[in-house]
Amino acid sequence: MGELRTTGERPPWEGLAGADRHAACVIAARAGDRRALDVLVADLTPLVWHVARGNGLDRSTAEDVVQTVWLALLRHLDRLNEPRALVGWLVVATRREAQRTWTPARREAALSDELAEQLESEYGLPEDAALVDDRDHRLWRAFGKLSQRCQELLRLTVLAGRAEYRAVAEALSIPRGSIGPTRGRCLNTLRTHLEAEGGSR
Amino acid sequence: MNDIDPRDDRRGQEDTAVLTELNRLVHELDPPPADLVERIQFAVALESLDVEVARWERAGSFAGVRGGQPGTITFTVDNLTLMVNFTSTGARHRIDGWLVPAGEHTVEVRVAEHESSTTTADDGGRFVLSDVPAGTTQIVVHLVDSRGERGRTVVTPTIML
Repeated sequence: MGELRTTGERPPWEGLAGADRHAACVIAARAGDRRALDVLVADLTPLVWHVARGNGLDRSTAEDVVQTVWLALLRHLDRLNEPRALVGWLVVATRREAQRTWTPARREAALSDELAEQLESEYGLPEDAALVDDRDHRLWRAFGKLSQRCQELLRLTVLAGRAEYRAVAEALSIPRGSIGPTRGRCLNTLRTHLEAEGGSR
Repeated sequence: MNDIDPRDDRRGQEDTAVLTELNRLVHELDPPPADLVERIQFAVALESLDVEVARWERAGSFAGVRGGQPGTITFTVDNLTLMVNFTSTGARHRIDGWLVPAGEHTVEVRVAEHESSTTTADDGGRFVLSDVPAGTTQIVVHLVDSRGERGRTVVTPTIML
């Protein structure tokens, strides 16, 4: 019945982008429009996925965590104070959910930001056999050697785009003004790894 | 203040180039599984949105909390544990489940593109669904309290059977 009623109507999120689009979907989903939820899932699953992967989960655990986060959102939809802040909620929820699956040793290591930035990730990235370009191989391997924290930050900043950047930084608890420097340090380390892989060109 | 874009010098331009390459590589080499969005859309298409999520307890993450035998999956949320064992009977499955704490809870098994199957657990918390189609599967448990009154609803993530 609900479907019949809504089919053909122009969805309120149509033509909107970024936080405006998410907010329109959250409000429509609260009112019972199931298409709105499907739109959010389609738009934001890649982001949730990369947060999970950036927190060191293997692909199959990441799949579970991504699903768990979306299911957890359902009853939280009504409690989101700020529908525009959905991305921030998703990032925080995904990190928390990912960290639940960590071993106690890793959890302890992650407590210190400074240490977390230096600690090499112990989780492998997917094989790069599909890459033809030698430069791509080297960059991917260098990226895989970065700390979890750097991998996560770089994934999110390339993925989220300018519109969501601030929300992501806040969700990662990076203080205002130090996102640039933190990312700069990550990029410097990446450059060092890249040179060790045989030149940066 | 702008700490989003790299600086406009040589180092900054290098950074921009590296970030652009990384963006391409992350999408190319580590994308979400192709069917993940569809599976999640199925998982969230529930009658009520007021649900609690039971987490899949995997080996290693919570040592000691496991079904123990192959084919058994354990889900937990708060004080509720749901153990399910799947036995393949060709294209279909037999599902044996156990809920702790026990109660005559209603158990619904949703399978994408098929009708749901529903049963009620016995007073020991056990339930059996002997003929469930294979596919993307989700379990929904409508809990009853000790007086038999309907309480909260617990859902699992989907699993592929």
